[in-house]
Amino acid sequence: MTIAFYVFASVALLGAILAVQVTNLVRAVFGLLLFFGALAGLFLLLMAEFLAAVQILVYVGAVGILMLFAIMLTQRVTGDDRRGGGSRGGFWGFLLAIATFCFVLLPVLRDAHLHEQSATGASLTTKLLGERLMDPYALTLEVTALLLTAALLGAIVVAKGTSEDGEGEENE
Amino acid sequence: MIGLEHFTILAALLFCIGLVGVLTRRNAIIVLIGIEIMLNAANLNFIAFWRYGENTEALSGPLFALFAIAVAAAEVAVGLALVIAVYRHYRSVDVDKLKSLKG
Repeated sequence: MTIAFYVFASVALLGAILAVQVTNLVRAVFGLLLFFGALAGLFLLLMAEFLAAVQILVYVGAVGILMLFAIMLTQRVTGDDRRGGGSRGGFWGFLLAIATFCFVLLPVLRDAHLHEQSATGASLTTKLLGERLMDPYALTLEVTALLLTAALLGAIVVAKGTSEDGEGEENE
Repeated sequence: MIGLEHFTILAALLFCIGLVGVLTRRNAIIVLIGIEIMLNAANLNFIAFWRYGENTEALSGPLFALFAIAVAAAEVAVGLALVIAVYRHYRSVDVDKLKSLKG
Protein backbone atom coordinates (compact mmCIF):
# COMPACT_ATOMS: atom_id res chain seq x y z
CA MET A 1 0.00 0.00 0.00
CA THR A 2 2.71 2.48 1.00
CA ILE A 3 4.99 1.76 -1.95
CA ALA A 4 2.06 1.71 -4.36
CA PHE A 5 0.86 5.05 -3.03
CA TYR A 6 4.24 6.70 -3.52
CA VAL A 7 4.66 5.21 -7.00
CA PHE A 8 1.21 6.37 -8.13
CA ALA A 9 1.62 9.76 -6.45
CA SER A 10 4.97 10.44 -8.14
CA VAL A 11 3.64 9.30 -11.51
CA ALA A 12 0.61 11.56 -11.08
CA LEU A 13 2.79 14.54 -10.14
CA LEU A 14 5.14 13.85 -13.04
CA GLY A 15 2.26 13.57 -15.50
CA ALA A 16 0.65 16.76 -14.24
CA ILE A 17 3.91 18.71 -14.44
CA LEU A 18 4.54 17.38 -17.96
CA ALA A 19 1.00 18.31 -18.98
CA VAL A 20 1.34 21.95 -17.97
CA GLN A 21 5.01 22.59 -18.78
CA VAL A 22 5.81 20.82 -22.07
CA THR A 23 5.60 23.09 -25.09
CA ASN A 24 4.59 20.37 -27.53
CA LEU A 25 0.83 20.06 -27.10
CA VAL A 26 0.58 16.41 -28.11
CA ARG A 27 3.18 15.50 -25.49
CA ALA A 28 1.29 17.60 -22.97
CA VAL A 29 -1.85 15.57 -23.63
CA PHE A 30 0.11 12.34 -23.19
CA GLY A 31 1.36 13.67 -19.85
CA LEU A 32 -2.27 14.34 -18.96
CA LEU A 33 -3.16 10.73 -19.87
CA LEU A 34 -0.36 9.54 -17.59
CA PHE A 35 -1.81 11.68 -14.81
CA PHE A 36 -5.32 10.27 -15.34
CA GLY A 37 -3.98 6.70 -15.30
CA ALA A 38 -2.06 7.26 -12.07
CA LEU A 39 -5.16 8.80 -10.52
CA ALA A 40 -7.16 5.70 -11.49
CA GLY A 41 -4.49 3.67 -9.66
CA LEU A 42 -4.93 5.86 -6.58
CA PHE A 43 -8.70 5.27 -6.74
CA LEU A 44 -7.97 1.53 -6.79
CA LEU A 45 -5.82 1.95 -3.68
CA LEU A 46 -8.77 3.69 -2.02
CA MET A 47 -10.96 0.67 -2.89
CA ALA A 48 -13.16 2.55 -5.35
CA GLU A 49 -12.82 0.15 -8.28
CA PHE A 50 -15.87 1.42 -10.13
CA LEU A 51 -14.55 4.98 -10.07
CA ALA A 52 -11.16 3.79 -11.31
CA ALA A 53 -12.90 2.15 -14.26
CA VAL A 54 -14.96 5.29 -14.87
CA GLN A 55 -11.80 7.39 -14.66
CA ILE A 56 -10.11 5.30 -17.33
CA LEU A 57 -13.18 5.12 -19.56
CA VAL A 58 -14.15 8.79 -19.37
CA TYR A 59 -10.80 10.53 -19.00
CA VAL A 60 -8.18 8.35 -20.65
CA GLY A 61 -10.65 7.12 -23.25
CA ALA A 62 -12.82 10.10 -24.10
CA VAL A 63 -11.32 13.35 -22.80
CA GLY A 64 -7.78 12.55 -23.96
CA ILE A 65 -8.92 11.64 -27.44
CA LEU A 66 -11.12 14.74 -27.57
CA MET A 67 -8.11 16.90 -26.62
CA LEU A 68 -5.98 15.25 -29.29
CA PHE A 69 -8.70 15.93 -31.86
CA ALA A 70 -8.91 19.57 -30.79
CA ILE A 71 -5.13 19.94 -31.11
CA MET A 72 -5.11 18.37 -34.54
CA LEU A 73 -7.97 20.60 -35.65
CA THR A 74 -6.30 23.77 -34.41
CA GLN A 75 -2.52 23.36 -34.51
CA ARG A 76 -1.99 21.54 -37.81
CA VAL A 77 -1.26 18.08 -36.37
CA THR A 78 2.18 18.58 -34.82
CA GLY A 79 0.97 20.92 -32.10
CA ASP A 80 4.29 22.62 -31.65
CA ASP A 81 3.88 25.77 -29.65
CA ARG A 82 7.19 27.26 -30.59
CA ARG A 83 6.95 30.69 -29.01
CA GLY A 84 7.55 29.11 -25.63
CA GLY A 85 3.91 29.18 -24.66
CA GLY A 86 4.35 31.29 -21.55
CA SER A 87 1.74 33.93 -20.99
CA ARG A 88 2.47 37.59 -20.42
CA GLY A 89 2.68 37.97 -16.67
CA GLY A 90 3.20 34.25 -16.38
CA PHE A 91 5.72 34.82 -13.60
CA TRP A 92 3.00 36.37 -11.43
CA GLY A 93 0.71 33.44 -12.15
CA PHE A 94 3.43 31.04 -11.06
CA LEU A 95 4.01 33.06 -7.91
CA LEU A 96 0.26 33.14 -7.19
CA ALA A 97 0.00 29.37 -7.51
CA ILE A 98 2.96 28.80 -5.17
CA ALA A 99 1.48 31.30 -2.71
CA THR A 100 -1.90 29.54 -2.87
CA PHE A 101 -0.21 26.30 -1.90
CA CYS A 102 1.97 27.74 0.85
CA PHE A 103 -0.39 30.23 2.44
CA VAL A 104 -3.87 28.82 1.78
CA LEU A 105 -3.87 25.06 1.28
CA LEU A 106 -1.01 24.01 3.55
CA PRO A 107 -2.15 25.95 6.66
CA VAL A 108 -5.69 24.59 6.19
CA LEU A 109 -4.32 21.06 6.03
CA ARG A 110 -2.16 21.71 9.09
CA ASP A 111 -5.07 22.94 11.15
CA ALA A 112 -7.54 20.34 9.99
CA HIS A 113 -6.52 17.66 12.53
CA LEU A 114 -7.12 14.81 10.14
CA HIS A 115 -7.07 12.06 12.71
CA GLU A 116 -4.97 9.09 11.82
CA GLN A 117 -7.70 6.52 11.37
CA SER A 118 -7.35 3.64 9.03
CA ALA A 119 -9.68 3.00 6.16
CA THR A 120 -12.87 1.27 7.19
CA GLY A 121 -15.66 -0.68 5.62
CA ALA A 122 -15.91 -2.88 2.62
CA SER A 123 -14.97 -1.70 -0.84
CA LEU A 124 -17.35 0.23 -3.03
CA THR A 125 -19.72 -2.19 -4.69
CA THR A 126 -21.37 -1.22 -7.92
CA LYS A 127 -24.71 -2.60 -6.69
CA LEU A 128 -24.74 -0.27 -3.69
CA LEU A 129 -23.69 2.64 -5.88
CA GLY A 130 -26.59 1.98 -8.25
CA GLU A 131 -29.05 1.78 -5.36
CA ARG A 132 -27.80 5.09 -3.96
CA LEU A 133 -28.10 6.69 -7.38
CA MET A 134 -31.72 5.58 -7.54
CA ASP A 135 -32.80 6.35 -4.00
CA PRO A 136 -31.57 9.73 -2.70
CA TYR A 137 -29.88 11.04 -5.84
CA ALA A 138 -32.42 10.26 -8.57
CA LEU A 139 -33.16 13.93 -9.25
CA THR A 140 -29.44 14.72 -9.46
CA LEU A 141 -29.02 11.89 -11.93
CA GLU A 142 -31.79 13.31 -14.11
CA VAL A 143 -30.31 16.80 -13.97
CA THR A 144 -26.92 15.36 -14.93
CA ALA A 145 -28.49 13.61 -17.92
CA LEU A 146 -30.11 16.90 -18.95
CA LEU A 147 -26.79 18.72 -18.53
CA LEU A 148 -24.98 16.17 -20.69
CA THR A 149 -27.60 16.47 -23.42
CA ALA A 150 -27.43 20.26 -23.32
CA ALA A 151 -23.61 20.15 -23.41
CA LEU A 152 -23.69 17.77 -26.39
CA LEU A 153 -26.06 20.01 -28.33
CA GLY A 154 -24.17 23.14 -27.31
CA ALA A 155 -20.83 21.68 -28.34
CA ILE A 156 -22.21 20.75 -31.75
CA VAL A 157 -23.77 24.17 -32.28
CA VAL A 158 -20.66 26.06 -31.16
CA ALA A 159 -18.16 23.93 -33.06
CA LYS A 160 -20.20 23.85 -36.24
CA GLY A 161 -19.97 27.57 -36.74
CA THR A 162 -22.45 29.76 -38.53
CA SER A 163 -22.00 30.44 -42.21
CA GLU A 164 -18.28 30.98 -42.72
CA ASP A 165 -17.60 27.53 -44.08
CA GLY A 166 -20.69 27.37 -46.26
CA GLU A 167 -21.09 23.74 -45.33
CA GLY A 168 -23.79 22.63 -42.96
CA GLU A 169 -26.18 25.39 -43.89
CA GLU A 170 -28.43 23.14 -45.91
CA ASN A 171 -28.60 20.66 -43.09
CA GLU A 172 -30.55 22.98 -40.87
CA MET B 1 0.64 3.31 6.72
CA ILE B 2 -0.74 5.88 4.37
CA GLY B 3 -2.99 8.34 6.12
CA LEU B 4 -5.53 10.84 4.94
CA GLU B 5 -2.94 13.63 5.08
CA HIS B 6 -0.91 12.02 2.32
CA PHE B 7 -3.87 12.12 -0.03
CA THR B 8 -4.88 15.67 0.86
CA ILE B 9 -1.34 16.98 0.42
CA LEU B 10 -1.03 15.18 -2.91
CA ALA B 11 -4.36 16.66 -4.00
CA ALA B 12 -3.22 20.15 -2.93
CA LEU B 13 0.00 19.76 -4.93
CA LEU B 14 -1.90 18.57 -8.00
CA PHE B 15 -4.36 21.46 -7.65
CA CYS B 16 -1.49 23.95 -7.59
CA ILE B 17 0.14 22.35 -10.63
CA GLY B 18 -3.17 22.74 -12.46
CA LEU B 19 -3.36 26.35 -11.26
CA VAL B 20 0.12 26.98 -12.69
CA GLY B 21 -1.08 25.61 -16.01
CA VAL B 22 -4.16 27.83 -16.02
CA LEU B 23 -2.33 30.98 -14.99
CA THR B 24 0.94 30.78 -16.88
CA ARG B 25 0.24 29.22 -20.27
CA ARG B 26 -1.06 31.03 -23.32
CA ASN B 27 -2.53 28.12 -25.21
CA ALA B 28 -6.25 27.68 -24.52
CA ILE B 29 -5.97 23.89 -24.72
CA ILE B 30 -3.31 23.86 -21.98
CA VAL B 31 -5.59 26.06 -19.89
CA LEU B 32 -8.32 23.43 -20.27
CA ILE B 33 -5.81 20.72 -19.31
CA GLY B 34 -4.99 22.68 -16.15
CA ILE B 35 -8.68 22.90 -15.27
CA GLU B 36 -9.01 19.14 -15.73
CA ILE B 37 -6.07 18.55 -13.39
CA MET B 38 -7.66 20.77 -10.74
CA LEU B 39 -11.01 18.97 -11.02
CA ASN B 40 -9.30 15.59 -10.69
CA ALA B 41 -7.42 16.74 -7.59
CA ALA B 42 -10.78 17.64 -6.04
CA ASN B 43 -12.13 14.20 -7.00
CA LEU B 44 -9.18 12.56 -5.26
CA ASN B 45 -10.08 14.48 -2.11
CA PHE B 46 -13.71 13.32 -2.31
CA ILE B 47 -12.69 9.68 -2.57
CA ALA B 48 -10.03 9.93 0.15
CA PHE B 49 -12.38 11.62 2.63
CA TRP B 50 -15.02 8.99 1.88
CA ARG B 51 -12.55 6.18 2.45
CA TYR B 52 -11.19 7.54 5.72
CA GLY B 53 -14.50 8.88 6.95
CA GLU B 54 -17.04 7.29 9.21
CA ASN B 55 -20.16 6.60 7.20
CA THR B 56 -18.83 4.68 4.20
CA GLU B 57 -22.23 3.11 3.49
CA ALA B 58 -23.71 6.44 2.44
CA LEU B 59 -21.27 6.65 -0.52
CA SER B 60 -21.39 10.45 -0.60
CA GLY B 61 -17.77 10.77 -1.75
CA PRO B 62 -17.92 8.44 -4.76
CA LEU B 63 -21.27 9.85 -5.82
CA PHE B 64 -19.95 13.40 -5.68
CA ALA B 65 -16.91 12.29 -7.65
CA LEU B 66 -19.14 10.56 -10.19
CA PHE B 67 -21.25 13.68 -10.73
CA ALA B 68 -18.10 15.79 -10.88
CA ILE B 69 -16.73 13.51 -13.61
CA ALA B 70 -19.97 13.92 -15.59
CA VAL B 71 -19.91 17.70 -15.25
CA ALA B 72 -16.20 17.80 -16.16
CA ALA B 73 -16.87 15.74 -19.28
CA ALA B 74 -19.59 18.20 -20.33
CA GLU B 75 -17.27 21.10 -19.53
CA VAL B 76 -14.40 19.76 -21.59
CA ALA B 77 -16.68 19.07 -24.57
CA VAL B 78 -18.08 22.60 -24.57
CA GLY B 79 -14.64 24.08 -23.84
CA LEU B 80 -12.99 22.34 -26.76
CA ALA B 81 -15.88 23.35 -29.04
CA LEU B 82 -15.29 26.95 -27.94
CA VAL B 83 -11.56 26.57 -28.62
CA ILE B 84 -12.33 25.35 -32.15
CA ALA B 85 -14.79 28.21 -32.71
CA VAL B 86 -12.22 30.74 -31.45
CA TYR B 87 -9.57 29.21 -33.69
CA ARG B 88 -11.86 29.48 -36.69
CA HIS B 89 -12.40 33.14 -35.99
CA TYR B 90 -8.93 34.30 -34.87
CA ARG B 91 -6.73 31.62 -36.51
CA SER B 92 -5.08 31.19 -33.11
CA VAL B 93 -5.83 29.67 -29.70
CA ASP B 94 -3.58 32.11 -27.88
CA VAL B 95 -5.56 33.44 -24.92
CA ASP B 96 -3.43 36.61 -24.83
CA LYS B 97 -4.73 37.56 -28.28
CA LEU B 98 -8.39 37.32 -27.35
CA LYS B 99 -8.98 40.88 -26.29
CA SER B 100 -11.89 42.12 -28.36
CA LEU B 101 -13.79 42.90 -25.17
CA LYS B 102 -10.91 44.97 -23.78
CA GLY B 103 -11.94 48.58 -23.44
